Amino acid sequence: MGDLTSLVFKRLGLGLLTLLVVSILIFFAVELLPGDIAQAVLGQGATEETVNAMRQQLGLDRPAPVRYLDWLAGAVQGDFGVSLVSGDRVSSAISERFINTLFLAAYAAAIAVPISIVLGVVVALLRNTLFDRVANVLTLTSISSPEFFLGYILILYLSVKTGMFPALASLKSDMGFFELLHRTFLPALTLVLVVTAHMMRMTRAAIINLLASPYIEMARLKGTPPWKVIVRHALPNAWAPIINVVALNLAYLITGVVLVEVVFVYPGIGQLLVDAVAKRDFPIVQACCLIFAATFILLNLMADVGAILTNPRLRHPK
Amino acid sequence: MSIFVIGYYAALIAASCLAAYYKKHGAFMLLFSLTLVSFIIGIIGGVPALRAVTTFAGALALAAGTSYAFKEFLILISKPALAKELRTAPLTASFGMFVIFTYAIAAIFAPWIAPHGESEVISSAFAPPDENMLLGADQLGRDIFSRIIYGARNSVGLALVATLLAFFMGAFAGLMAAVKGGWFDQLMGRLADVIMSIPSLIFALLMLSIFGTNLGVIVIVVAVIYSPRVFRLTRAVAGNIVVMDYIEAAKLRGEGDWYLIRREILPNSTAPLVAEFGLEFCFVFLLIAGLSFLGLGIQPPTADWGSMVRENATLISFGDITPLIPAAAIALLTVAVNFVVDWMLFRSSGLKEQ
Repeated sequence: MGDLTSLVFKRLGLGLLTLLVVSILIFFAVELLPGDIAQAVLGQGATEETVNAMRQQLGLDRPAPVRYLDWLAGAVQGDFGVSLVSGDRVSSAISERFINTLFLAAYAAAIAVPISIVLGVVVALLRNTLFDRVANVLTLTSISSPEFFLGYILILYLSVKTGMFPALASLKSDMGFFELLHRTFLPALTLVLVVTAHMMRMTRAAIINLLASPYIEMARLKGTPPWKVIVRHALPNAWAPIINVVALNLAYLITGVVLVEVVFVYPGIGQLLVDAVAKRDFPIVQACCLIFAATFILLNLMADVGAILTNPRLRHPK
Repeated sequence: MSIFVIGYYAALIAASCLAAYYKKHGAFMLLFSLTLVSFIIGIIGGVPALRAVTTFAGALALAAGTSYAFKEFLILISKPALAKELRTAPLTASFGMFVIFTYAIAAIFAPWIAPHGESEVISSAFAPPDENMLLGADQLGRDIFSRIIYGARNSVGLALVATLLAFFMGAFAGLMAAVKGGWFDQLMGRLADVIMSIPSLIFALLMLSIFGTNLGVIVIVVAVIYSPRVFRLTRAVAGNIVVMDYIEAAKLRGEGDWYLIRREILPNSTAPLVAEFGLEFCFVFLLIAGLSFLGLGIQPPTADWGSMVRENATLISFGDITPLIPAAAIALLTVAVNFVVDWMLFRSSGLKEQ
């Protein structure tokens, strides 16, 4: 067991290291700006004094590594500095929106995960039938469509033509939980469509891989009923790939959420990021990127740890 | 009960009877379950729903027919060896090839096909379709149809250039890493790990916020983001090949790294690399479309599908589907490439799922 915990800790340490490297990348990418931040924000027309004043204000007179450590120390405590455009604290702009984004992702995941696992298993069992072919074409189409295409189709048919759901997911603080679910249904559904397709395909591949192994053949040959082959023999071994699939797709949700938030004008962190990029508001861009990257790395880490925990073979790397 | 509804059910039932009589069980199950489902659809949605089903089935049949004809055409004009391969292609793959062919024609001959220039203002903003403009005008009064045709050139062209760059960078690094091994291999591997640990769209947004949004920057940023995927695949494929005896023999003959890559490794790893190129193109295309949609990709007045969706999105709230056409064009091309790649992967891996 000590072996197992050390393996998990080693993986966690590796994840932390990756995050550190990514934070360095995110911070020093901005240093690559021609000139520096003050010049880039104020533009060519700014006088020398204003540029200098801004440099002073941002602390640009200190060397970059010192500023990086400062920024990192602040980021760990949830303080990302001050927005260049509005002058507000970045953390206050982000915190509420981050919760909104998490809510949307969780909403989508709560619908997508059960559906896609069940459908994935069903499709794997019915492989090479007509149902499987149709499912294959449909999931491929859904994966290949840009998120904004699916989003606008849903707006057109479920909102404009039938009026069942609101097209814009604007949030108010005094909304009840069910009204919240109703308002955010379309963005969540868009994410569900994309993620379900991914997850179904990956679950199908994992299960089919498993069903090809000799011990399943053995169980079938000795006359075990099909449902029992699945439940007793295949499923215990299928958990590892399925956990992996779920974690990887939740990580995928993180990127998908940016476009969906823009389509539905949802007040989340993705839209904040896009606005900040257009305005070149670097502290916000850096903070959002770090949060997205951290979530992404964390979910990938969970996929790996889950795989280690459920698959004893991974505990003894060759 | 209109004539249409009676005809609809009569045709379905007749077709299912025929299928059953000729012992086509798959087709019978499909047709008859469609009949049963149509009862429910008809009760809930009425005639319009049934009409939608008919249109959908008609479009599907048209697509299937076109793909079948295109496949036969390709078989006839190609050499015997290639024709034999093509015969094994499923309909989806030939549909994919047909779509790619159409897009290529539209992109190459855009100035002759499009009735108006891509940034030519010819009428008032959001003018409805007339005999002069097939799909109406956009927010500045430019012909949407012409812009879609030109978009094939700009959007697909940009994605293709970025993919090629990503592919050459990744494949070159992967091959060198496999041949050289040692610290170069380690360094490249770790670099790929770091780039892949940031979500691609987020990374692209970060880079574009710093370097601005001109075409060169987009191509390089996108290529850097997606090259690790190619690197990993090439490294894995080439890694399996460099341990072969014939590589050892070539090394003993005194051949250099470049010879090994060009004459020994590349010819043995083309199939997975070509399939990867297709997949890579899909990813790059979707990423660039996403960036354009966010207003950070190809800048106006150049026609581009992603930004066209964004510019005309207001029309959707009036129930107009025109803004969806460029988005559908993106989806269709990606689906088509995926179909072809699916077939190629299936063929190259010899993956016969039992």
